[in-house]
Amino acid sequence: MRAKLFVTEALRSISTNISTTVAATLTVLIGMFLLGLFIALGSWVVSWTDHVKKELLVKVYFDDAAGPNEINAVGDRLRVIDEVDKISFVSKDEALAIMRKRAPELTRNLATNPLPASWEVTPKNADDIEGIVGQIQSANLAGVNEIKYGKEKSERIRKVAGIIELVFLGASVILLIASTMLIANTIRLSIFSRRREIEVMKLVGATNWFVRGPFMLEGLICGLLGSVSAVVLLFIGKEFALPQILGRVDAGADVKAWSFSLIALVLVGVGLLLGAAGSGITIRRFLKI
Amino acid sequence: MNDSSLSTPPEDTGNVMAGGIAVAEEPIAAPRPTGTPMIVFENVSKVYDNGVVALEDVSFGIDKGEFVFMVGQSGSGKSTLLKLLLKEVEPTTGRIIVGGRELGRLKRKQVPMLRRNVGCVFQDYKLLPNRTAYDNVAYALRVQGAPAADIRQKVPEVLSLVGLTHKMSSFPNEMSGGEQQRVSIARAFVNHPPLLIADEPTGNLDPDTSVGIMQLLYRINLTGTTVLMATHDREMVDKMRRRVIALERGHLIRDERRGGYGGQE
Repeated sequence: MRAKLFVTEALRSISTNISTTVAATLTVLIGMFLLGLFIALGSWVVSWTDHVKKELLVKVYFDDAAGPNEINAVGDRLRVIDEVDKISFVSKDEALAIMRKRAPELTRNLATNPLPASWEVTPKNADDIEGIVGQIQSANLAGVNEIKYGKEKSERIRKVAGIIELVFLGASVILLIASTMLIANTIRLSIFSRRREIEVMKLVGATNWFVRGPFMLEGLICGLLGSVSAVVLLFIGKEFALPQILGRVDAGADVKAWSFSLIALVLVGVGLLLGAAGSGITIRRFLKI
Repeated sequence: MNDSSLSTPPEDTGNVMAGGIAVAEEPIAAPRPTGTPMIVFENVSKVYDNGVVALEDVSFGIDKGEFVFMVGQSGSGKSTLLKLLLKEVEPTTGRIIVGGRELGRLKRKQVPMLRRNVGCVFQDYKLLPNRTAYDNVAYALRVQGAPAADIRQKVPEVLSLVGLTHKMSSFPNEMSGGEQQRVSIARAFVNHPPLLIADEPTGNLDPDTSVGIMQLLYRINLTGTTVLMATHDREMVDKMRRRVIALERGHLIRDERRGGYGGQE
């Protein structure tokens, strides 16, 4: 009975205040669209930096004189380091094959194979790379000629990845706050323009919930409409614009943004919450009569 | 609602209608005050947060069934007194009892119940602008969860009482001031509250229209509802010869059983 009354009251208020309803819905739409874009882009970039970090390797090169026993001993020693994720062996022949592929001109006229055998060590975390190198060096392993890990490259990648993650986190927080304030402001305007109405309701004996219920339901409907339209727009963007952009970006197959359905769920959830909670909280000030 | 007693006004009310307010040698018959108190003010003072003293040590009582005018200049504390009755504001000191309940002891949650038992009429009507006359009146019933059948029966009844059957589906901006005030009175009365308070209900209306509004309030009083009306309308008060409470700068300066507006203003 009461629920039905709330629904009719909310629908009446939406239809009689169509301009503020449209404004609130559009605000939610813009906020949620930007947020969705940001989540997608941000999660993709974070995933990409992860991917790049994973390509950071420590390479342990051997003397040509080193035999299988020494190589295995070094391999065993590497496996027990905590920070090491996995190691893989690259023999002299494999190293040459890789080099042939990468630089055919340079390797075409080689009489012998100048490339050393090596262990490629993948760290669990790119940040541990220097620790691993330190441990290998201090172990003074027999047969090891050189340890390389692309010091500058690794540091730059880590720094850039850190900045990117920080920027996206900060920007998402700012965006969330901005869209919350924008939506709250729109709701406040719409409630403010009806504060007389609320006053009258209170004076004829309406309880706070009787006044608040329809307003919150209205906010809920605005939030739902706005966020669902944002999801639809994002979906259109994903289907038509994204393939054209992605065709030009070279990234590994494991680089992925959050799934679209997850983003959609987050957006609709945030939209509903902002709409309902926004009006519920904003109206409190006007109920003190 | 006792329809017959309301739709056939007593003779003296007809008199009021016909010739403006007839100069009454004898006071118009009023329902005998019952002796049970409807409103009691005990040493009530109200100082607003900004230091303005709106009421100071005001004490009086109004019995059930009385018709009382409250007069005084702007800023004399009339509106504050009415707001206190609705628990819109709290007294700084003193006790207020309405219908046997002390307002100071009323919890916030109980305030809506109080207001459903106190009909209000305001100078600016305070109608909901995007609802028809019918819906404005119906809202007062809906807020207390009245059944739909009840609403369908009571709203047309009370609108016919105020003479607005033909304006039932008009919006406030399609009605004259007098008509809007009638809707407002209908809304205040649809619950048959034991107490009706009116804050300068004729303040925005021309004299002829005011007479009609006064007649309505008078008829409502005849059904036993206590009416407390704040007004500036000197002529009306002088001719009705009812109890008059006069306020001046927050003090109760006069309380006459059958008074006139008085004073030099």
